[in-house]
Amino acid sequence: MDSTLTALAGQIAQLDAVDSAQLERMRHEALTTQAPWKAEYGAYQSGGWWTTSLMNASGDAADVTIGDCAARPTGLLGQMPATAAFLADLGLNFMWVRLARLEGNAFLWEHRDYDELDQVERHRLHIPLHTNSSAFLVTSGTKVHMAGGRIWRLTPTYAHGVCNLLGPARIHLIADVYADDAYRRLARRPALHPAVAEPLPAASQTVLAERLETARNMATLGYTEAAERMLLRLFYTYALPEGTAYDLIAELHTSLGNMEAATRWDTAKRRLLALTA
Amino acid sequence: MPTLQLAEITHANRPAQLPLLSKLADILATSPAVTHLMVRGSLAHGTADRLSDVDFVVGVHDAQLPSFVEALDALMSIEAGALLPGWRDTIVADLGGLGMVFLVPDDGRLHQIDLYLAPASRIPRLRETVSTAVILDRTPTPAATPDIAVAESFAAAFIARPRTCTELLIEHLVLAVLLHKRIKRGQRFVAYSEWHRLHTATKDLIKTALAPASQFWGWYQLREEIAVTPIGRACLGDLDAAISGPAIPEGTDVNAAIERVLALVERACPQALDGLHDAITAYRTYQELV
Repeated sequence: MDSTLTALAGQIAQLDAVDSAQLERMRHEALTTQAPWKAEYGAYQSGGWWTTSLMNASGDAADVTIGDCAARPTGLLGQMPATAAFLADLGLNFMWVRLARLEGNAFLWEHRDYDELDQVERHRLHIPLHTNSSAFLVTSGTKVHMAGGRIWRLTPTYAHGVCNLLGPARIHLIADVYADDAYRRLARRPALHPAVAEPLPAASQTVLAERLETARNMATLGYTEAAERMLLRLFYTYALPEGTAYDLIAELHTSLGNMEAATRWDTAKRRLLALTA
Repeated sequence: MPTLQLAEITHANRPAQLPLLSKLADILATSPAVTHLMVRGSLAHGTADRLSDVDFVVGVHDAQLPSFVEALDALMSIEAGALLPGWRDTIVADLGGLGMVFLVPDDGRLHQIDLYLAPASRIPRLRETVSTAVILDRTPTPAATPDIAVAESFAAAFIARPRTCTELLIEHLVLAVLLHKRIKRGQRFVAYSEWHRLHTATKDLIKTALAPASQFWGWYQLREEIAVTPIGRACLGDLDAAISGPAIPEGTDVNAAIERVLALVERACPQALDGLHDAITAYRTYQELV
């Protein structure tokens, strides 16, 4: 494994395979069970991100604000026997288990997760149940499509973003787990197959200038938010230095004479990328 | 007579496309360059079914028509989630503007969105000849003559521009969506017409890829110009297979035609697929081809 891939595997790794027949049963449950999906809106996403809990502190599927707890099954998991059996077989110490739905044309913009201050070791596992090739994660200028059939571990300390460009909706089973022997057995051989990591092309100054001009045209027509989103989406198309998309938006507003908006986006960049300076 | 409470049942029976129509209208109306929004077709007349397209006439300030058209693909992708760049509509009647068709996923299936972009100066005449429901009217002051000329020359040049292989591929994908609708509705005559358009698009695609400087019109001299290399013969074999099928297709015939064209593009002009692989995968998923 080359050094780039090794570094990337520290961020996102494939663990054990999931039995295909069991995966199909879980997918059927996720697509057909009536669940109380809760929308989460935040500065770092476009909308279209929904979650519902299968294991949590309260046992209420609509309770989706995760935190440390000894998780117990929700009523929803009771209606999903194949998923419940899968989780039981893993034998992990669950903190929280959710279904997460990312709709088509939905984005979690480039951001860095804050490292929690407590010392408890936990890990986030993703089990893709229903996905498509236009749904992927980008980190370090590399695109990773989390294909079905594997348990994936995400440890995103680098700036990263997630998108589902074209749909249909992507549904992942997400389990936050505490480290224990069962977890260490599961994570004994983390790997990242080179075929799943696709480096994005670099963007030349000419390309960025063209995209900025297109954004300026859109903003001049009155489509300012669309222009901003067009620039944010460049993160999913090109390998850009960290924060470039936010810088381009600030540059767009500066060129239009809107210094308040330029400052707002500069502040957003610092917050979303957890920059201290 | 008792008062019947019909609001709930009326709401339940509203056209399935109404939320999408509303969303698109909001998107388009955001720009002050848009002077009018009108709905036409079955949704304007109360005859829509679940397969009906969403058909807008969009009035645009004459001077801003070029920049509006330039921004449209990005706008529809970013704000509406359009799967592909718009197809330059070659079926729509000439009303002084230009037509674009987009495929937009909504509620798990693809919807056909027709946008007819008309210079604001043409809207009064258009309203006299086309039946529409007006949902936005920001009638501007009359456009200056130079602005009208800008819009007219832009629209004429846009329509006259030769289509690229990518545009012709998108034409196939859009026509296939239309054809599935005709077949499900039993509209045999329209299906016949659009099936012929699809074959014509295949012929145009082959000529654009393999005989871009052709001096011959339409279907003439294809063998002499194209069947001179293995690729050329293979492509004409595909065209022969296409026109040897039924005059009015079944759904499976349309699906086979799309797969045949995709293979043809891979063979003759693979660059036409650049940036479209995920969109075609999504198209196949929404059309239940996988």
